[in-house]
Amino acid sequence: MLRSIGKRLLELLLFFLLLSFVSFCLLKIVPGDPVRSILRVDDVAVTSEQIEAMRTQLGLDKPLFVQYGLWLKQLVQFNLGDSYLTSRPVFSEFTEKLPYTLLLTAGSLVVMLLISIPLGILSALYRNRWIDQFSRIFSLIGSSVPSFWLGLVLIQFFAVRLQLLPPMGEGSWRHLILPSLTLGLAMSAIYVRLVRSSLIESAGQDFVTSAKARGIHPARVFLFHTFRHSLIPLITIFSESIGSLLGGTVVVEVLFAYPGLGKWIVDAIAARDYPIIQGYTLFMSVFIVSINILVEMSYRWINPEIALKGKIES
Amino acid sequence: MSFIKSLKAVPLLLVLLLAACTSQEPASPDSTVTHNSEEKSITLLFNVQSNSIDPHTDVNYTAVRAGIAETLLTIGNDLKLQPAVAESWSSEDGQNWIFNIRKGLTFQNGKSVDAAAVQASLERAQQLNPSVKNSLHIREMKSAGQVLTIVTEQPFPQLPSDLVHPNTAILAAESTEEAPIGTGPFMLASFKPGSELNVERNSQYWGGTVKLAKAKFSFNEDANARLLAIQAKSADIVYRPPIESFDQLKADASLTLDSLTGLRAHQLLYNMNNAELGQEEVRKAFDALIDREAIVSSIMTGQATAAAGPFLAEAPFSPEYTPKTFDLEVARQFFRTAGYDVDNGLVSKGGKPLTFRLLTYQSRAELPLISQLIQANAKELGITVDIRLVDNIDEYLAANDDWDLATYSNITAPRGDASYFLNAAYTSEGALNYGYVRQPELEALIEQLNTAIAEDERNNLAQQAVAYIDEHRLNSFIIHPNNFVVYSSHVKNWVTSKSEYYLLTKDLDIE
Repeated sequence: MLRSIGKRLLELLLFFLLLSFVSFCLLKIVPGDPVRSILRVDDVAVTSEQIEAMRTQLGLDKPLFVQYGLWLKQLVQFNLGDSYLTSRPVFSEFTEKLPYTLLLTAGSLVVMLLISIPLGILSALYRNRWIDQFSRIFSLIGSSVPSFWLGLVLIQFFAVRLQLLPPMGEGSWRHLILPSLTLGLAMSAIYVRLVRSSLIESAGQDFVTSAKARGIHPARVFLFHTFRHSLIPLITIFSESIGSLLGGTVVVEVLFAYPGLGKWIVDAIAARDYPIIQGYTLFMSVFIVSINILVEMSYRWINPEIALKGKIES
Repeated sequence: MSFIKSLKAVPLLLVLLLAACTSQEPASPDSTVTHNSEEKSITLLFNVQSNSIDPHTDVNYTAVRAGIAETLLTIGNDLKLQPAVAESWSSEDGQNWIFNIRKGLTFQNGKSVDAAAVQASLERAQQLNPSVKNSLHIREMKSAGQVLTIVTEQPFPQLPSDLVHPNTAILAAESTEEAPIGTGPFMLASFKPGSELNVERNSQYWGGTVKLAKAKFSFNEDANARLLAIQAKSADIVYRPPIESFDQLKADASLTLDSLTGLRAHQLLYNMNNAELGQEEVRKAFDALIDREAIVSSIMTGQATAAAGPFLAEAPFSPEYTPKTFDLEVARQFFRTAGYDVDNGLVSKGGKPLTFRLLTYQSRAELPLISQLIQANAKELGITVDIRLVDNIDEYLAANDDWDLATYSNITAPRGDASYFLNAAYTSEGALNYGYVRQPELEALIEQLNTAIAEDERNNLAQQAVAYIDEHRLNSFIIHPNNFVVYSSHVKNWVTSKSEYYLLTKDLDIE
């Protein structure tokens, strides 16, 4: 067991090392560097000599491997460096933004689950009835509407007209509702159909027919056999959604002036703020790998067949 | 069949949703503004998000804009320097400067502001921000009582102008990057990076009574969301609402729209390495293809002024600019003078049509539209202009030479002095000299400007340099866009700042 964990940790370490190197190389391949932003060439008089001097000072004129080595050396000392633009530690900026992003992610997922699970189940149970048609139309509209437009409509309706919710910012649970709705509605449009199709597929499995033949109560068959089996594809896609929500919500963050990681990283990329980009890549890869491990573990619980197969193979 | 029936209801649902969401009924007032005289507060919504509150490093100057920190000198809307932390300044040779720090001035933590404190603050700014260090050229500083002596590396007459820069704001030694302590009318109460800044009245403010007790300075980079915020009464002052909403805003009696010409200039850069554009007549021909009036009235919906040169016409360093008119025939005439063939109104060289590559970028939404207008006008002369969008114009121009024309935009005289722009854009080593301008006569004028001390002499030299640029059309200057702000009618004493450095002031008030 310990050996297995050790092997897995080593694999992960190698993976992070490789990932950080690839992302470092990609960053350097992209044209441009942060020097012009640091020296504010559009605001103060700067000469090309000063630009070169700053490039040298930051070590940007050194070979790629040397630059990567220096970054790695900092990393093993638990130092991700300072942002080029704000001169603040990358770790501090990341930890400042992370709670907001986690809250927004959680809010969006709650909205998505509250809509897609009941609607998906009803659509599967009452196939081709009005509820199924409604969910189909909901999915069609939901996946076609751009999130910035949906966000503006929600602000107009709930903040301007009804004055029930704040139009932007953060600070209370009320501030979280509109951005969560914007993201959650768009996601649930996809998940409703996924829940439906996954349930229909599971309902046709032999073990479901067998359970029904044994006279088990239909509700129990649905909950512990059909629904449980349908969770595997849903959880797989769910984990991917969490990954994209953790950094891909820039449009909603801008619209609602929500201080999350999405806008932070987009700004850093635009300014070529290498320490932030590298730090973000590393943190997010740790998050996403952790989520994937949890998902893999959940498969064994949801479908005992997977755990049994694993035991037989070992 | 039932599915088709359901689909029929979709348009109706959409219409109902839209109708519900686009009503123009006035919303009931919110409680964001407190009218009690002791607790007057205001919310300002700015268009750029800030992740830092340290005035020495923050690229968005939030602490200065929100009235927390002040600089030695400030700049007024007349583009003249005004005393602030320093009550006077002087230099006989442009290299040895004396700044007299205002007597009796205290930081927001109660500690007095003397020359030593100012020196320490400037040293911190230089240490944390390489652009401040580069721009100030300080060799050494000495402090005695309220007198600060600054010696620059060489004669540097524009030092007072560069000390207007918000990154040189004066902070108390106890300041941290999260909690700056300045001398301004407002003190920091709380700051949430990327979201909002809350400030409170500085009762000891040297400039007089501060009318507001509190203020919130929020950020939102989406223009439509900012518009909705003022409609929802969540903000009292909104910076840069969407231009297309102006008619709607003007029609709303509860709002006031304020607009004034800013210090920014949208430009057309010419690549002097291009054989055609290296010729003055060809540049003049392109200048005649720019329909500035159409750009102001159509693209900018009136929120801009046609530019004749890099600086606003009323600036003391602006010469009498040559008139700029859009005229295809004048353009043809310039091409003829340059030796090109003009047949049936179409321009060619040795029977071959002319082709140029024009770079533009989307972070200023009007620039691609201006590019299209130039492209359409050039087409009238049979000239092909290929427009190419780039992400980061500065990086592209600095690294590549495969372009002929480029739209560009910057604030040309941010601190009341012409030397920044002239040095950056027209000297061989200038970081903004993207067009490879090499004009020894112009550089000699700029060199003289860099050592001239007397204000009149400096203005005169700057005028000569700008007149040279204008005469030879080294760039074409297109428009000066407006700074515009919308605020609720209960807001009093709002002054839209040309420099955009000063937003929350001691006089800002509500009824």
